[in-house]
Amino acid sequence: MSFPDDLIYSSEHTWARVDGDVATVGITDYAQDKLDEILSVELFPVDSSVEQGEPFGVIESVKVTTELISPVSGEIISVNEDLADDVGILNSDAYDTGWMIAVEIRDPGELDNLLDAEAYADYIEANEEAD
Amino acid sequence: MDTWRIIPFKRHSPFENMAIDEALFRGHQREGDPPVLRFYGWENPAVSLGYFQDAEEEIDCTYCRDRGIDIVRRPTGGKAVLHGSDLTYSLVAGEHTPPFSLDVVETYRIISECIIRGLAKAGIEVQLVEEGRGGAGSGGGVCFATPYKNELLAQGRKICGSAQVRARGVFLQHGSVLLDLDPLAVCAAIEKTEDAGRVQEIKAAVTSVREMVEGDVSIDGLCRDIAAGFEEVLHIRLIEGGLSPEEKAFRNRLLEDKYVRDEWNRKGRGRERGY
Repeated sequence: MSFPDDLIYSSEHTWARVDGDVATVGITDYAQDKLDEILSVELFPVDSSVEQGEPFGVIESVKVTTELISPVSGEIISVNEDLADDVGILNSDAYDTGWMIAVEIRDPGELDNLLDAEAYADYIEANEEAD
Repeated sequence: MDTWRIIPFKRHSPFENMAIDEALFRGHQREGDPPVLRFYGWENPAVSLGYFQDAEEEIDCTYCRDRGIDIVRRPTGGKAVLHGSDLTYSLVAGEHTPPFSLDVVETYRIISECIIRGLAKAGIEVQLVEEGRGGAGSGGGVCFATPYKNELLAQGRKICGSAQVRARGVFLQHGSVLLDLDPLAVCAAIEKTEDAGRVQEIKAAVTSVREMVEGDVSIDGLCRDIAAGFEEVLHIRLIEGGLSPEEKAFRNRLLEDKYVRDEWNRKGRGRERGY
């Protein structure tokens, strides 16, 4: 299971790749593994406002529906249309072609609330041990 | 021994049932709040749609309307279910509240074990499906026709189907234990066909409590048995309770803003509003 160093992570198992004032957002490898086979995804449309810690969409796998929680606040400027044709890329390539939305960041200070790769890996490990 | 809240069986409208389940789910704190088990019935027949289903595509809306069958969209995924002659349960808990975890399939398995124990008390021998005989997209549009891993079969026929939603470290699982089966109505409402062959297929794939048990089965008795199943398997104690004032307020808001609205129930429009 990989957690690239150039991403930052939320405890809700989403990642953000920050480039200037834009964050590209998706789900982590851990999340897609737990969800198992993903069947469909519904994302808020372009121009929607999202808040850190609040939903930006819903994902359905074989037997569970899960809300997608945004790691950043801002306005959605782009949505990955490729997911409509092949939602399977969320399972096969969660960090690259499986990106979900791009958000114009409203408050860069919020990024401090997110975890680096090492801290996210520790968070998962702690949760797994607790379970 | 941990204590959980149990909300005793009561019939509500289809819309209120979903609003209550979602209010319990949204109001639950991921850590600290004890899990909540609820039993409920349906004041009138209804088809519940999975979160991602489209009413016009998936079910026969005209048939439902002509027969007074309401259509309500669930917060959970999965396929359509015809309610009315079923006992429905819901369980809300933190993802990390013992014995649960982030593992969805394991959570299904644990809850299934409780229901198996309860149904055994009612005289119904039920097995867990170890391997789903249908994958995603098979079995037509009928939830009950498609057993997945960790769902429940009695004599090889599905008797209970469940679905789950997760958000912010909390899960809601609700499921339907069939008391009676009307395969023709299931086919007509959910599969848009009254084809005799398909009706027979549904009849062969699905069963009900009253088919499995000789004599009358009371809903109260079945609720008691299933509740006891949870207590015994999980070593917990269930304490009766109702909705808190906050949960009632949330239920009312969800009912008004979401579950009585066609935009939500037919198309799911309004989902981006962030419920």
